[in-house]
Amino acid sequence: MTETSPLVRLSGVRKRYGGVRALQGASLTAASGEVHGLLGPNGSGKSTLGKVLAGSVRPDAATIEIDGEPVRIGSPRAAARLGIAAVYQQLSLIPDLSVEDNLVLGQEPGRAGFLSRREARRRARPVLERLAPALGEVHAEQPVRELAPGQQQLIEIGKALLRQPRILLLDEATASLHRDQVAVVFEITRELRDAGACILFVSHRLDEITDLCDRATILRSGETVAATAVAGIEPDEIVRLMVGDVQAVERDHGARPTGPVRLAVRGLVGGALRGVDLEARAGEIVGLGGLQGQGQSELLLALFGATSSTGEVAIDGDPVRLASPRSAAARGIALVPGDRGSQGTLPPRPIQENLTITSLRARSRAGLLSGARERAAAQSMVEALAIKIGELGDPVSSLSGGNAQKVVFGKWLLTEPVVVLLDDPTKGVDVGAKAEIYRIIRRLADAGATVIINSSEDRELVTVCDRVLVMFEGAIHAELVGDEITEERLVQAALRIGEGAQRRSGAEEAA
Amino acid sequence: MTPTALDGAPQRTTGQRALRLLRDPVVLAALIAILLVVVGGVLKPGFAAPDQIVNMLRVASFLGIIAIGQTIVVLSGGEGIDLSVGVTATLGAILASRTMNGSDALLVPGVLLAIGVAALIGLANGLGIVLLRIPPFVMTLGMLGVVSGLVLVVTGGVADGRAAPALVQLVNGRDVLGIPGILLVWAVLAVLVTLMLRRTSFGAQLYAVGSSREAARLSGVPVGRTVVSAYVLSSVFAALGGIAMVGYSQQVFLSLADDLTLPSIAAVIIGGTLVSGGVGGYLGSAIGAIVLTVLTSLLTTLNMPEWARIVVQGVVLIALLAVYGRQRRLRA
Repeated sequence: MTETSPLVRLSGVRKRYGGVRALQGASLTAASGEVHGLLGPNGSGKSTLGKVLAGSVRPDAATIEIDGEPVRIGSPRAAARLGIAAVYQQLSLIPDLSVEDNLVLGQEPGRAGFLSRREARRRARPVLERLAPALGEVHAEQPVRELAPGQQQLIEIGKALLRQPRILLLDEATASLHRDQVAVVFEITRELRDAGACILFVSHRLDEITDLCDRATILRSGETVAATAVAGIEPDEIVRLMVGDVQAVERDHGARPTGPVRLAVRGLVGGALRGVDLEARAGEIVGLGGLQGQGQSELLLALFGATSSTGEVAIDGDPVRLASPRSAAARGIALVPGDRGSQGTLPPRPIQENLTITSLRARSRAGLLSGARERAAAQSMVEALAIKIGELGDPVSSLSGGNAQKVVFGKWLLTEPVVVLLDDPTKGVDVGAKAEIYRIIRRLADAGATVIINSSEDRELVTVCDRVLVMFEGAIHAELVGDEITEERLVQAALRIGEGAQRRSGAEEAA
Repeated sequence: MTPTALDGAPQRTTGQRALRLLRDPVVLAALIAILLVVVGGVLKPGFAAPDQIVNMLRVASFLGIIAIGQTIVVLSGGEGIDLSVGVTATLGAILASRTMNGSDALLVPGVLLAIGVAALIGLANGLGIVLLRIPPFVMTLGMLGVVSGLVLVVTGGVADGRAAPALVQLVNGRDVLGIPGILLVWAVLAVLVTLMLRRTSFGAQLYAVGSSREAARLSGVPVGRTVVSAYVLSSVFAALGGIAMVGYSQQVFLSLADDLTLPSIAAVIIGGTLVSGGVGGYLGSAIGAIVLTVLTSLLTTLNMPEWARIVVQGVVLIALLAVYGRQRRLRA
């Protein structure tokens, strides 16, 4: 066997988003005829690295070589010219166009601007035939909106295959597929590999990585920590590489809360949720762990009545109907949503209004508001949470991420909630403000509220949580309590390795 | 920053404050209005005479009252716009004048009938937009057609009915310290609407809904109810504007206020309310109505043909929007 020159070589890739360093000198080398896995815990930068190669993220610095030639990839089109195609979990299909039109979209055959439908059909047919075993009954003329999510995902993959890529990036492209559909995709992937293509594969299912990949690159905090052959590697070794030698995180909590059960959820189903059971006590901080996108945000939104779901929810023993955020708020539930800009704040409105909007009713008399009372309420939160502002009248969009997030906390604190739902509350927040937000969370719990927190950072869960429920594909599949909560255990549980998983399933059988 | 100028407790230097004031669209619009009056006075002696100014304000009041509702709708966001205000004003004027038919005793019933019917039109607009998710532009455009048809049904093609003398006196007389009562009514409405926007739960929720439907919903704001209310208010104020117009013309005609729809939107925009919703206030719209009226009257005084007037008004609107757009970027 001769050493082939690598098809893809990325090195020194750096990318910052505001204050967050997504990539700090990551590298990746993959050869043709290879399926190469990208592995890393949440926020390690694996998706960003893939997107740099696919031209949809512009890096701050990077050296990219394809076939040993240095190249610049400024756009997805530039990537396509180099034979790079990418498939994400996020679909890029146009729902009203037919399967066939979607397949050829962006490279429509034709002459002088006129489309050739016959040529389009001729090109789409082999791809559809190849996918047929997984697709089932799908016609080329059918609008994509009529297809099931899994079928749409397969069409998305077909779209990439039609470009006959030399380099194919599959980023969580199998997440919405059934096992047998995944098998077909794997088959196609192996055929591509045997024909000399290079496939970069990102998945949250560790068994898929070990099943499919020849080699893998492991990322941690935006850096490449290892590149290794997959065959023969132990799952525990992978976890160790992903987590690294972490110093023990200072855990910030006292005695195990023994208050009464405040929030009880049984069989919550809807959207991405496939039956969630949980109980949380007054004064308890419960984390939602697992890899991102396993239904954590959906669970919080459902508990807040923001998305429709079915199941039994009770607060302090009283059943609650989660019809709308308004009724949830009236029952003392609060949500700090995941997207501060579009969901948490009213960007152009003054800080004062952003703080008071949730609790107007408590202070109004027959719908009339007193300017002084409103200002006092807002001011009390600015002081209690040490929010750094210019004037209460400045738009909330003038604040830094951390201070804007404190405003979102503040508006709910004014309602004196009993259940506080936090969706990634320190995303894009600097370190100092993070610590302050942790203190706010702890104070909430000490005052008797039940806190449910989802985080994209395992370290955050270790720091603040009394208990962590690890989610996988829309259900809770492991539970870590007290000192069991370590980054290593969280990653193991997220990837369903080791005893974390069995604990919960054993408990379920017993129940 | 229009909305905050009232409540803020500024601790900035005088220079900064002056600069901030100049960047305020409301102040800018007011300066333009004054500038137009001065230019008119220079070009045509008598244009800036007190009598003439009072006259222009009187005409501006109809547009100004209709623009109250348009302001509320635009503030509610979600591409909020009400294209049916003109015909609703006409219908309100027709219903009111037929009811009162020259009698003061029937003035109040006439006004109440007009308000009631207008509220139903606004309710239909609001429900179509919220429940059926019809875009406001399309929904109110359709309503424009429906109400035009209603006007024909109600009148049988011939508008009759006369304004009550008291209404005529309110608009055309000069009873209050030498100025027409309608200006006082307009001023009172302006104060009430501003208080409603700034000092009621509804106002706070309207701004919240306008700046981000999703964030408002996730803050427990009744988004649907707020949006529907905005469209109901829009139609009601349109009817009131139409009734004021009948007081001015004394006779009602079939297309009385139909042409005021686009000027009402223009007044809102000139007044600095963000077309995307959530930012702005009524004071600006009122000044916008004055700017438009003075501009029209100046161009008419200069014997400019109608087509040229329309072109100039369009150019002014585009120029102002361009200026406001720049400022927003500067302020952000």
